[in-house]
Amino acid sequence: MNELIAPKLPFDMKPRAREAVRDLKLQQFVGNATHLKDTQRGGIFGRDFGPDYDDLRTVARDTKQYALDHLDELLERFIENAEKSGAKVHAATTGREACEIALEIARAHNAQGRAMSCVKSKSMVTEEIGLLPAFEAAGITTLETDLGEFILQIDGDAPSHIVTPMIHKDRVATAKSFVRELGARYTEDPTELTMIAREHMRGLYRAADIGVSGANFLLADEGAAVICTNEGNFDLSVGGPPVHIVFVGIEKLIRGARDLAPFLKLLARSGTAQPLTVYTSFVRGPRRAGEHGGPKEVHFVLVDAGRVGVLASEKRDLLRCIRCGACLNACPVYRKVGGHSYGSMYAGPIGAVLTPELERAQGNADAGLANYADLPRASSLCGACYEACPVKIDIPKFLMHDRARLRERGLSPKSEGHTLKLWRWLAERPVMFRLAIRAVRLHARMLGQREKTADGERGWLKSAPGPGAGWTQSRDLGIATGESFRDWFANRENNTSGGGR
Amino acid sequence: MLARIMRVALFTTCLAEALAPRALKATVLVLEHVGVRPELPAAQTCCGQPMLSNGLPADAAALARRMCEVFAPFDAVVTPSGSCCSVVREKYEALFAHGSADHKAVVALAAKTFELIEFLETQLKIDPSSLRGKSTPSAAPLTCHDACHLRGIHRHGATAPFLTRACCGDVRELPDMAQCCGFGGMFSTQFPEVSTALGEEKLAHVASTGAATLVASDTGCAAHLAGLAHRKGVALRVISPAEALAESLGLLVELPESHA
Repeated sequence: MNELIAPKLPFDMKPRAREAVRDLKLQQFVGNATHLKDTQRGGIFGRDFGPDYDDLRTVARDTKQYALDHLDELLERFIENAEKSGAKVHAATTGREACEIALEIARAHNAQGRAMSCVKSKSMVTEEIGLLPAFEAAGITTLETDLGEFILQIDGDAPSHIVTPMIHKDRVATAKSFVRELGARYTEDPTELTMIAREHMRGLYRAADIGVSGANFLLADEGAAVICTNEGNFDLSVGGPPVHIVFVGIEKLIRGARDLAPFLKLLARSGTAQPLTVYTSFVRGPRRAGEHGGPKEVHFVLVDAGRVGVLASEKRDLLRCIRCGACLNACPVYRKVGGHSYGSMYAGPIGAVLTPELERAQGNADAGLANYADLPRASSLCGACYEACPVKIDIPKFLMHDRARLRERGLSPKSEGHTLKLWRWLAERPVMFRLAIRAVRLHARMLGQREKTADGERGWLKSAPGPGAGWTQSRDLGIATGESFRDWFANRENNTSGGGR
Repeated sequence: MLARIMRVALFTTCLAEALAPRALKATVLVLEHVGVRPELPAAQTCCGQPMLSNGLPADAAALARRMCEVFAPFDAVVTPSGSCCSVVREKYEALFAHGSADHKAVVALAAKTFELIEFLETQLKIDPSSLRGKSTPSAAPLTCHDACHLRGIHRHGATAPFLTRACCGDVRELPDMAQCCGFGGMFSTQFPEVSTALGEEKLAHVASTGAATLVASDTGCAAHLAGLAHRKGVALRVISPAEALAESLGLLVELPESHA
């Protein structure tokens, strides 16, 4: 798997974050795109739903939560209905199992042992389970058919955003890659670039042995998967090859088409500020008698890969996530560090809380958190993610929850913990606490660069010890050194005792 | 609410006592201007936000209990810090078992704790246009950045309109105000490069407004942005909403900010 999204564990986020902040192109591309999408998202919800937006989110939250609370029942119903339509349903506990199931399906269609090919539409769960490397090792060549994913694939790059995977790249990079990898003539025109990719792909769709996709929703009542795309590539990948495999996390289940509407309304608007994705496709069973198109075999691979564990944990709300990417676009930290800084296929706020729970990061209980100890800390807790989330996942709450787990298990810096413990000790002793504040002010008066300011007087510290060093590497610390507020208040009370001012 | 007979406590916050005493003075002066005489409970210290945000909920809970005791005798608790206010209002509850005495106490405290501008607007129902000062309002343009934690009490974006109507001079819209300034408590020292990059972006937006005074509704954000500007030698006065009001009302003298 690509080291960018499947790094060596334990993962150290800080060097990547530092590098990203200095990367001017990344700052420009990711900064502009996320701001634009975030603004457009606010705009379309305001225009289309106004004050009802919050009610819509509440409905979506409760609908998804209901499905999670009844997952067993819905799974059974889905399997029953999908099988009725002639699809084969497989359950995979681990990512490795999911890949194994797919390889088994491939082998069943390849008695001769020839080289096989696969066309794949965009799917986060296949990134999670490492499907492409598994296919590659088995001699199956896979073509990513989502344009963004295709460009990343030919560049040996990795997605850095759930919805807009090549948010960190631009047309110029794409043009160069197409010249280099496809022998195309150089053009920066988006339509021409799209045509080049299209011509390259069309023949491969027809020749492919297997089509692979993810799914945005699973409908238990109908035994169907719903796939939302903008490029129509899913429909080609399901229409050409004789076999289609849908990989899907079990948390994608909802009751059925009756519950789908709020999610379709929310998903496209939250992700790309569209009223609906260009294509909303449904896949059920294989081609029926008398039908001319469609695969001869349809397989659903239902993936657990850590999800059942999350369902049983305090972080179960995370399974409501519909992968719209709105929290990434809204997040100030994501905007600055980009997706690859998170060392996971799930970046940004949702990635920070979800990644430690993924099977890949786990070994034993809490190993995921130890492997990704920086992630819960890489947030200013500003709350923009919670505000943007269409299914109301309180991401800051879970970041704080994980910070407590880190602290309990001794995975946070010790010096910081000692400082906080001392702070609390002082805060329970008001006289000591005031003395400590006085000491800080005195320190600034003695050692700081003193200035008369709006506060009367201020001492500016250019360097500070301990955790303060992180502050003063780029900022001065201005501490009020004049009359303290308490002295001022007490003096006024004395002077004006008897009431009035 | 009958402003004149209720007992109002000033919740100073530890950060403001150390870094921004003028914001606290301004809070007292503005409250007195509208007929409220705040008291200063001497035993108050820290609300526990640093512990809560950094994985020590039990330590935060101990300080939450203290807060309840300290402010028990009062009808209302007012603070100039949007962030500490939001901790009391929306975070304390989760620290205690539902139905416990502590839970009841923090719910009661949450119900009577307000950020200053919120208190003026929603509790005292003060029409900001009635806050026109005796002195000529400052002609110098201001711009205003709200602390992200005001989201938690549904007051994000409410400060600038209030100050505008209260005639605090020329209040200019801050582009991309919704984006965090990068402070984030200990985040500012854990990820200093990211925190600084966000702060620099905020300062660039402030500069684009042409305002030389930034009103920041939390002491932490103010210290971060002022410290960054000071290091860079950028002339920028960073004040609290309370100070902006107090200056406009002629209750505090506006001093020019010198810079490095």
